[in-house]
Amino acid sequence: MTGDRSSTPPLGVLFGIAATFFALGITVNVVVLERIESEARTFVAAVVINAATTELAYLAVRDAGGGLLAALIAGWVVASRFGLLAASLGARISVGRAHRLAIALQSFDPNVGLAVQHDAQRDVIRTFWRVTAAMHAGWWSGTIVGIVFGNVIGDAGAWGLDAVFPAAMLAIIGNLLRERAGFVAAVIGATVCVGLLGVAPAGVPIILSVSGAVVALGIRSGTHQ
Amino acid sequence: MSWIVVAALAAGVALQRVVGMFLGGRLITKYPSTARLASLIPAAVVAAVVAQLTLTDGTSLDADARQVGMAAAGVLVWRRAPFIVVIVTAAAVTAGLRAL
Repeated sequence: MTGDRSSTPPLGVLFGIAATFFALGITVNVVVLERIESEARTFVAAVVINAATTELAYLAVRDAGGGLLAALIAGWVVASRFGLLAASLGARISVGRAHRLAIALQSFDPNVGLAVQHDAQRDVIRTFWRVTAAMHAGWWSGTIVGIVFGNVIGDAGAWGLDAVFPAAMLAIIGNLLRERAGFVAAVIGATVCVGLLGVAPAGVPIILSVSGAVVALGIRSGTHQ
Repeated sequence: MSWIVVAALAAGVALQRVVGMFLGGRLITKYPSTARLASLIPAAVVAAVVAQLTLTDGTSLDADARQVGMAAAGVLVWRRAPFIVVIVTAAAVTAGLRAL
């Protein structure tokens, strides 16, 4: 990608990401509130855990009768992808320790996925923070709506909101999928993950999806369409 | 989910992000041959998340209207449709099928 200003996300993409996280904030926090029955803890959990999948994994294990430690480990393991994503971004930037720490704590799929598609560090960082701002704008407003109006909204699935997040993720890696190596990494990563579900402990399939990137290392650069 | 659990989950997630950034990032920088790997990790990991959220109920394969919505989203991504069109279509198709 080029390093000019136009290569950072257009407003339409940022708006779409904000809308996605608005829907995600509603969906997740309606579920969490229903389980823990405390608006204050639901809100604080959304703020400090800063990882929706971790909250859902913890609650899923507890719902299934799992112990506290098992649920905590499940919550931590599903968040391991954020460590991998932070590592991939960390290798691309040269900034001060405080800035690096701030970026680490805000590493998610969309902002890292879009940022690493740029070559120039300036564009990587600008894209990262713009997408992060859009994500938080959507997440916070969705969290508040989910907590305050959760009972009115009811089943978020009836609104198709559970399809919004995976659709957004797919759109985000769209450019990576157009490269031969990125496509191979994605297909193998997804296949490994789905194949291991129910066999490996929660979260482990996501970690092992990195094998897709390892296999794709042998693929020459280029587009396949 | 008690306050202690909230704190424990938060600490574990933050620690992984920090370790990934400071140690993982340094490792990749130290060994340039791993830089290519780092650029491919998001594709593999995000695709795995998409597959898990689309094809399963979290633990096993699951047939659901969501998959049709995601198929529509996939076509739109392939056709380079605007981001907002992709996510609105995925939600609308999924909700529409569930309403039938």
